[in-house]
Amino acid sequence: MLVLASITVLTLDYHGEVSHGITHIRNGVRDALSPVQRGISAALHPVGDVFAGAFHYGAVQSENRRLEQQLGKLQAAQAEGAFASRQAGAVLALAHLPFVANITSTPAEVISAPTSNFQYLLEIDRGTGAGVGPRMPVVSGRGLIGTVAVSSASTSTVRLITDKSSSIGVTFGTATRAGNAIADGQGFAEPLSVQEISGPLPVVGETVFTSGTDGGAYPAGIPIARVTSVKTSAGGLTTTVNARPLVNLDTIQYVSVLEWLPQP
Amino acid sequence: MAPPAVNLRSWSRLGAVALLALVVQVAVLDQLVVHGAHPEVLVLLAAAAGAVAGSQRGAMIGFVIGLVADLVLPTPYGLSALTYVLVAFAAGGVRSLPGDRDGRSLQVATCIAGAAGGTLCFAVLGDLLGQPGMLDRQGAVVVLVVTVGALVLAFPSVAALRWVVRGADRSVTGHAIPSGGSATR
Repeated sequence: MLVLASITVLTLDYHGEVSHGITHIRNGVRDALSPVQRGISAALHPVGDVFAGAFHYGAVQSENRRLEQQLGKLQAAQAEGAFASRQAGAVLALAHLPFVANITSTPAEVISAPTSNFQYLLEIDRGTGAGVGPRMPVVSGRGLIGTVAVSSASTSTVRLITDKSSSIGVTFGTATRAGNAIADGQGFAEPLSVQEISGPLPVVGETVFTSGTDGGAYPAGIPIARVTSVKTSAGGLTTTVNARPLVNLDTIQYVSVLEWLPQP
Repeated sequence: MAPPAVNLRSWSRLGAVALLALVVQVAVLDQLVVHGAHPEVLVLLAAAAGAVAGSQRGAMIGFVIGLVADLVLPTPYGLSALTYVLVAFAAGGVRSLPGDRDGRSLQVATCIAGAAGGTLCFAVLGDLLGQPGMLDRQGAVVVLVVTVGALVLAFPSVAALRWVVRGADRSVTGHAIPSGGSATR
């Protein structure tokens, strides 16, 4: 009887109107729990960092070394950066790229790690009350982290780019050697799989950006990941390209939601 | 002797326990992420329900806890309910074993095994329903983390479920809610 009841509930969740009702109830519960989540999240963040630090000590050390090297390079590049930035600004203004066309964004704080052990989602402290809604891209300072999946009045759930249901149209290369592809999430701690490549293959170290061509789901030009491996099979028939997200999705605390909806 | 029915007192205790567990899960346990996975207390409660209350009453309690868990999960509504019914029913099987069926150590051990099995069952059922990323390498990590978490959380979970079931045992008025068979025999 109870198994049948469970299956009935599952079936109802797939039914349009009832599903909406269930979504409303779920959103209400999220709103009710969000103040508790915020309070405890703020208190537990240091504890979580200790956990993360203990389990990833080696990675933290190598990340630190990498950042020190990067800082040196950045300082050296700072002088020429100003000039390049002026040039880039002029070019982008001409190209009218949506990402840099001052899309309004809403800052938000991550209040909860994934609620499910099997899907890669984050809970943020902004919802429909702050103008945040489903399908809006979510970025951090370094690039794309995901898309809003569900919003209640005061919170939203963000589906991360590493989630297995995430699929993003991407572009890479230079003006003379550009390619397009699809970047699929492969789960926790796994790189994105770059597939259906049209044009030349990307090279290791190259950054992939949103292409803006996948039904306009994302504005073009948001950095997503850096290519970490390009392997072609012995017969040369298949090529596997992996790209590591630019943003460390495990430790992210602040994000921005772009008020952008898929273009028709 | 037949076990007492699930009555109003135990329903209210179950509601309080489920609500508290939900808050603990969302506000505390979800933050304790180890290699992409966190401990789960609600599946433990379902297993504890079976171990403490037996298969049939446990399944009913598991169903309610599953519906509560589904409120905060992104998976289809009812997936946890179905999983927890099966987990509680299976965990209740230990009560048919010879020996001290009410011994706390047996109940705690059942609870831990139930949490591991329940997590695996959730992944399999989710995969059958077409949910992405349910059965992959990370699944093994999730089962491990949930099991290690269960080592810590099993004692309070069993204690909480014993308290819920005592509500039925001590009932004087006996506002019994049919529990699906054995309780009303």
